[in-house]
Amino acid sequence: MTAVIETEGLGKRYRQRWALTNCTLSIPAGHVVGLVGPNGAGKTTLLNLAAGMVAPTEGTIEVLGERAAAGPAQLARVGYLAQDAPVYAAMSVADHLRLGAHLNPGWNVEQARGRIERLDLSLGQRAGTLSGGQRAQLALTLALAKRPELLILDEPVASLDPLARREFLQDLMEAVAEQEVSVVLSSHLLSDLERACDYLIVLVDSKVRVAGPVDDLLASHHLLSGPRRHPETLPTGQEVISASHTARQTTLLVRTAGEVLDPDWTVTEVGLEDLVLAYMSDTTTRRGHARQLEVVS
Amino acid sequence: MIWLTWRQFRLNAASAAVVLAAFSVLLAVTGPHLATLYAGSRIGSCHGGGCGGPADDFLQQLYGNSLTGASSVDGTGAYWLLYLLAILVILGTPAVIGIFWGAPLISSEFEARTHYLVWNQSITRTRWLAVKFALTGLAAIGFTEALSLLYGWWAAPISRAVARGAVTTPLAMNQFSPLVFASHGITPLGYAAFAFALGVTAGVLIRRAIPAMALTLSVFVLLQVAVPLWARPHLFPPERSLTSLSAFADLPDVSVENGSFTVITDGWTREPEGWVLSSETVDLAGQPISSIPAACTRAAQLTGGKGESAGLLNCLSSHGVRIAVTYQPASRYWAFQWTETAIYGALALALAGYCFWRIVRRRFSP
Repeated sequence: MTAVIETEGLGKRYRQRWALTNCTLSIPAGHVVGLVGPNGAGKTTLLNLAAGMVAPTEGTIEVLGERAAAGPAQLARVGYLAQDAPVYAAMSVADHLRLGAHLNPGWNVEQARGRIERLDLSLGQRAGTLSGGQRAQLALTLALAKRPELLILDEPVASLDPLARREFLQDLMEAVAEQEVSVVLSSHLLSDLERACDYLIVLVDSKVRVAGPVDDLLASHHLLSGPRRHPETLPTGQEVISASHTARQTTLLVRTAGEVLDPDWTVTEVGLEDLVLAYMSDTTTRRGHARQLEVVS
Repeated sequence: MIWLTWRQFRLNAASAAVVLAAFSVLLAVTGPHLATLYAGSRIGSCHGGGCGGPADDFLQQLYGNSLTGASSVDGTGAYWLLYLLAILVILGTPAVIGIFWGAPLISSEFEARTHYLVWNQSITRTRWLAVKFALTGLAAIGFTEALSLLYGWWAAPISRAVARGAVTTPLAMNQFSPLVFASHGITPLGYAAFAFALGVTAGVLIRRAIPAMALTLSVFVLLQVAVPLWARPHLFPPERSLTSLSAFADLPDVSVENGSFTVITDGWTREPEGWVLSSETVDLAGQPISSIPAACTRAAQLTGGKGESAGLLNCLSSHGVRIAVTYQPASRYWAFQWTETAIYGALALALAGYCFWRIVRRRFSP
């Protein structure tokens, strides 16, 4: 499977602050990829690097097999919807469509017009007076009508109300189904993406904690609960993602390719939300765990 | 991209067109009358030293009766106001362009985050910046030059009168005087290009429109004050001319105080259109002198108030005291114009280059 975004040791520093360090990942084509991580994990920086908005400080990033924003041809293949969907406030909706038509050789006039009509946006309205949801829809229209192979959306629904959120994602999914496009969208809330994406990447501290098709992730993670015991006594092949202990009981989230056979454990399936949360809080848990061990010894 | 540039620029273009139209109408209505007044004066038919009088009369007429305080009946007195107003417009235009066209050009995109939108169309940001920069910059230069040409046509009679030796009214400003030099010829073109590029650069650096505007204004005004004061006089090595005290058309005055003397001259007629940088009294050896030579102490004692210094003047003159004038010859006027315009043009290009480098490099935080 070819990768739409492939990074190797990617890092970006803004003055003294590293926004992303040593990030290596490969995002396959043909998916709707959810990029999830806590605030400050480097999601926006990663997507800005992918769109070529900024240049890497170290490492490499290839988007659709080329350097990001390498030239007009590469730019034409990637659609980017930045956070908060910026549009020209003084320009009308029609002006934005004209902008898209002038600046994109692959512009699809009918599609753009059709979307605007379907969304009930009036062509003459100034973009500055649109609601947040309408603005996002307008920006999405611009990104889609240039007929990209890869569509990148940075927190597309973060500033929308729940209804607008649902409408936006639904509309996005319809458009994606219609036109063969790989999608990468980020959010700090999994619930935004749960319905939309079939591939998940959890980014914490600019590192990929876990990545894979959602179905595979759900199949390979299990929640084990049983009498208190040390997590290191698990058989090899079972990786502990998170552990919590009470005086008597231990609950573990483990990742394993095979079945869990130990009869001491009660095995339950894990939801996507719990899975992602476990990975996101992973580092802190480990630190807590280490402290606990010190007390014992 | 041309469409988008025009779409974002059209309000500015409209206001520029209004200003240009108003300026044109004002000058077109008054210009022919000004030319008629000039034709009616005797400047056209005078020769050499005899031109100062008619030229002064002509400017006096334009100055109207404002000097005496009486209202001018025929309205000619308004011309000098118009003259100054036009100079201010032409001097101010580059600053206004830098502030309102240059500074927001890129910074407003950063402020509204619309660079995210436009940089992700199928067009490189190099091309985006090139089209925006070139079209708006050319408009800035063209607009300023149009004002300047109009004004040059309108004010031609005044410039000619000054060139013929008019000295007495405030209108009689030498072609090298800061206000006239900066508003005539091709310098406005250089200022416009530079101010625009300066504004854009400030916007690229600060990324917020209002502070970028403030920076643009400060730097431009600073340069417009500093260049005529300290840089322009030294663009070419000045000439030095020695003139005998008796060679002045109007005999100079000499004032005496505590054994030293000061020669007061007005009107150094050798280069009426030249640029006098400094003048001093020197002795035979060419060294500056201010103390009264021993031989002239007696003549100095006879000197009373103003106008009674002829004796001392003769004595000083016969002892080799002369006036040394450091000046730039009038023939260098266009060399000065071209050099200064070229310097500002080169600065504008350098700033533009920096903007490209900075935008294309993509190092900054988005």
